[in-house]
Amino acid sequence: PFLWYTGKSATMALAAAAPPAGMSDYGAVQHRFSPYSFNGGTIVAVAGDDFAVVAGDTRLSEGYEILTRDSSKCYKMSDRTMIASTGFHGDVTTLTRLLGSRMELYKHRHNKVMSSPALAQMLSNTLYYRRFFPYYAHCVVGGLDNEGKGCVFSYDPVGSYEREFYRAAGSGASLLQPLLDNQLGFKNMQGVTKDPLTVDKATKLIRDVMVGASERDIYTGDALEMNIITKDGIRKEIIPLRRD
Amino acid sequence: MSIMSYNGAAIVAMAGKDCVAIASDRRFGVQAQTVSMDFQKIFPMGERLMVGLAGLATDVQTVSERLRFKMNMYKLREERDIEPVTFMHMISNLLYEKRFGPYFCEPVIAGIDKHGKPFISSTDLIGCPMTPGNFVVAGTCSEQLYGMCEALYVPDLGPEDLFETISQSLLNAQDRDALAGWGAVVHVITKDQVITRTLKSRMD
Repeated sequence: PFLWYTGKSATMALAAAAPPAGMSDYGAVQHRFSPYSFNGGTIVAVAGDDFAVVAGDTRLSEGYEILTRDSSKCYKMSDRTMIASTGFHGDVTTLTRLLGSRMELYKHRHNKVMSSPALAQMLSNTLYYRRFFPYYAHCVVGGLDNEGKGCVFSYDPVGSYEREFYRAAGSGASLLQPLLDNQLGFKNMQGVTKDPLTVDKATKLIRDVMVGASERDIYTGDALEMNIITKDGIRKEIIPLRRD
Repeated sequence: MSIMSYNGAAIVAMAGKDCVAIASDRRFGVQAQTVSMDFQKIFPMGERLMVGLAGLATDVQTVSERLRFKMNMYKLREERDIEPVTFMHMISNLLYEKRFGPYFCEPVIAGIDKHGKPFISSTDLIGCPMTPGNFVVAGTCSEQLYGMCEALYVPDLGPEDLFETISQSLLNAQDRDALAGWGAVVHVITKDQVITRTLKSRMD
């Protein structure tokens, strides 16, 4: 606040010079540098009997601005495993780059490609290594396990992980997760036949939930990238979403 | 600690073909401690009009009682039932009067007007009204409710289908919220009657 000269007495000028009531400084605060930023986005992974689908939207935001409309959040680790990661894009890229290197090293040392459960454990260890200055990245791993069955692993930013059948993460996670519980976990439904999950149903469901999330979450939209992982490899599908 | 998530709630209303439905959870808790499993959050305001209130429980009760008073006065003066859109304006005014010291509650209104047309609406805690036409949500699990409703809702459902849709939306959303749950109440309002059903859900 400036000291406006009003022509009044010196005492009044002194009173005006004091910080306004309720503020202990003059409104001058040292802004701490924040090492993190939030780039938004939603990811989801679903596991079936012999396949897995790893999907994410492709929008990168910062505040109310969109940085780009086609930034993939899904990173291929091998022909049988993909990691999807969202949160702070800087940490996401570093983390996936690190894991990619470790996978290469493993392949050269042991003469075999790292399996999904092994990668899952390694990701957990990598995240916990930074326990006191975490990677701001919510990760979901999807792929085929050692027996060829679909597997999904989900993580918190410091490495706590769990194997599941489906998981949504990111800014729109709370919009997606209940519907996945309902349709894939058959929760709150009595007397329904629990058919085994097909690729078709999984992709349709992911498409529907992401369309719903783009309606209500400002950080989700632009396009949906789905990666279907089977024993024959990884097939990619890109579907446009709302761009607003 | 946020005031709006001190007690916890899940309220949703949906419009169908010549019918509306409004549903809520039944939990009353104080942060992590659950105190009661039959707390009323939806209140009738006429034969074909109901209001659900999410937010701080004390304000839910105070606002519902203030509304009951205003409704009774309206009925005595006008000698007729209030229209849903008029009621929405009444709530909006009641809340905005407290603009700089608000009631910490978010109302959800569901009713059928005198021509039989369905009406749903909600306001924020200071009374800004919103009339979307498909569904409205309020409470600590509003994001979960938005996700479920966006996916499950189709327009022009009949009373039975609307009941199924709104129930599944509420149940699965409240299961992903620690502060809402412990059962559910669903009211389906048509021109002739109101059907109230109580649902058993995960009791945790």
